[in-house]
Amino acid sequence: MLTQQLLNGITLGATYALIALGYTMVYGIIQLINFAHGEIYMVGAFIGVLMVSVFHQGLLISLCAAMAFCMIMGVAIERVAYRPLRRSTRLAPLISAIGVSIFLQTLMTKIEGPQAVAFPHVINDSLYHMGAIEISKIQLIILVVSSLLMLGLHFIVKYVKIGKAMRAASEDYDTAALMGINVNRVISFTFAIGSALAAAGGVLVGMYFNSVAPLMGVLAGLKAFCAAVLGGIGSIPGAMLGGLFLGVAETLGVAGGFDLYKDAIAFTMLIVVLLFRPTGLLGRPIQRKV
Amino acid sequence: MKKGKLWLLLTILVGVVMIMAGCGGGGQKQNSADSNQAAGGGDTIKIGFLGAKTGEHAAFGVETLKGMKMAADDINKAGGVNGKKIEIVESDHGSKITEGTNVTQKLITRDKVVAIVGDPTTGITKAAAPIAQQNKVVLLSAGAVGTGVVEIGDYIFRDVLLDAVAAPAVTKYVNQKLGWKKVALITSMNNDYSVGLSKLFRKAIQENGMEIVAEQSIQDRDQNFSAQVTAIKDKNPDGIIFTGYYTEGGLFMKEARKQGMKAVMVGGDGLLSDVLMKMGGDAVEGSMVYCGFAADEARANEKTKKFIEAYKAGNNGTLPDMFSAQGYDAVMLLADAMKAAKSEDPQKFRVELAKTKDWQGVSGVITFQDNREPLKSPVYILTVKDGKFQVKDTVEVK
Repeated sequence: MLTQQLLNGITLGATYALIALGYTMVYGIIQLINFAHGEIYMVGAFIGVLMVSVFHQGLLISLCAAMAFCMIMGVAIERVAYRPLRRSTRLAPLISAIGVSIFLQTLMTKIEGPQAVAFPHVINDSLYHMGAIEISKIQLIILVVSSLLMLGLHFIVKYVKIGKAMRAASEDYDTAALMGINVNRVISFTFAIGSALAAAGGVLVGMYFNSVAPLMGVLAGLKAFCAAVLGGIGSIPGAMLGGLFLGVAETLGVAGGFDLYKDAIAFTMLIVVLLFRPTGLLGRPIQRKV
Repeated sequence: MKKGKLWLLLTILVGVVMIMAGCGGGGQKQNSADSNQAAGGGDTIKIGFLGAKTGEHAAFGVETLKGMKMAADDINKAGGVNGKKIEIVESDHGSKITEGTNVTQKLITRDKVVAIVGDPTTGITKAAAPIAQQNKVVLLSAGAVGTGVVEIGDYIFRDVLLDAVAAPAVTKYVNQKLGWKKVALITSMNNDYSVGLSKLFRKAIQENGMEIVAEQSIQDRDQNFSAQVTAIKDKNPDGIIFTGYYTEGGLFMKEARKQGMKAVMVGGDGLLSDVLMKMGGDAVEGSMVYCGFAADEARANEKTKKFIEAYKAGNNGTLPDMFSAQGYDAVMLLADAMKAAKSEDPQKFRVELAKTKDWQGVSGVITFQDNREPLKSPVYILTVKDGKFQVKDTVEVK
């Protein structure tokens, strides 16, 4: 039963990791906590529902459509709400992000109603037995899709030119600009990728839990943010690790009978880690330039 | 350059204002019309509706309000109460407790209602009742089935089948008729109703010699129940007793079927909504729900049949649920008490209301006991069959 619960936790953690990546990448480059990120995840989930129920598409096409839509939305949000504020105080874009987040929540409530919406039937779920543990097809899909996406992200960041530019910009934004990197393009790209990952997370979670709600992004976003900080904000492997860590801890907590404290577990862990390792699990020590 | 920017800002602002006006218009117009009418007419009896039209338990509130309006129409067509017409003052607290108390305050102090029908949920009723009690306004909940409601004061009533009556009856039913011995009990910890109902079930299970083999807690708005299901699965219960609401109930069963559990779920009227089937799909087939009213034309008396027909006519042929029937009865009960007292003064008609005995409503026979707790019979047991609630059985209670 423990291994079964671990599997439940890893599946949940994989979705947290997908969202956490967006937080971490955006923070790595422009030091902004994009509080609207959880809502992008929520919108992605709704696009998934729309594709399946109205356009009768399969999972793959719905997933891609949600990712594409949220990519454009993420870039648009950055253009409208963050870029004009980039040279103002650090607080201004943060508040703008909260504004965008609330705007998207209310907009979606207006369109879809406040009730949770069931995710339509898209694949035939079946159980596979592997020794003592059982894994469902949906769990497998979540694990495979999120691993592929994370591998893809790793490849882009490590080996593709724009990825190198991202790393350069996260190292030092101004110097990167002086070296001829089009920083605006890099930032747009970061938002696009982060939003696409969040949208994928939204569709997968919607399918897994069978429900999509306009306010689902709030807590998921907060927890993914936690995961990002836990792993070391700005660090991509950190976000993945943080997400998994959090998913497993939460599931084990619930299995152990601490359901009431389910959400508190994430934040307690965050506090504990920050007390002993202020930069997070895989974070680099903060360097002050002289 | 600067001028250009200013214009842009102004255009955006005007745009936003227009969008907001467009969105909010519908609801506001309705409200202002209501208050105009309220201010104009001095010879109406105002009854307030406390409930949710939006939010998680909107399904309860919307149905209650439908029933109340039907009752008001029927009363007004028949000449009103003591020569005055009944007017329903609507409100919406969006399923939030804090808003619930605000709305109660508003209904009493601004709208000057003599009675409030609501809230359909126990939690918000318990928050609103002290305000009604202090202001000496009758509050009659058409849905609160949990414990500790009428104890708040002598102006507080309810016309529902109590969990304290229904839970033991249902437990006995699943034990004797269905042969359940081992059950799993699932409670939603941030839901007052669920916590109270679980307590009643726990006691009834013990008294019937059954055993709780697994007990798990969830929370309202949770979406992930994989850990809880995994934990109860190995214990192989005969059935799952689920005391929370419909959204979580449907999702919980979906997860249970996903993990290969066969046991069916039984729960209180908190599960009674089509949303249960929307969220649960095939997984809730066979699930059982008890409630104080079911639109069962085969078993209905004349009064109830008439109500069902009228409801169907006004709602594209859909059947009324427990909440619309109890909302209807609530207004009728109040009207009858006012007639008996020949007064709309809450201090006077509440005495008559408390004397209600063997009162035939559309949702069953109601008697208020000495402690103002209602006794209501029969208990309907519904089951989900082909995606619809159907009457499975009735249990008489004394």
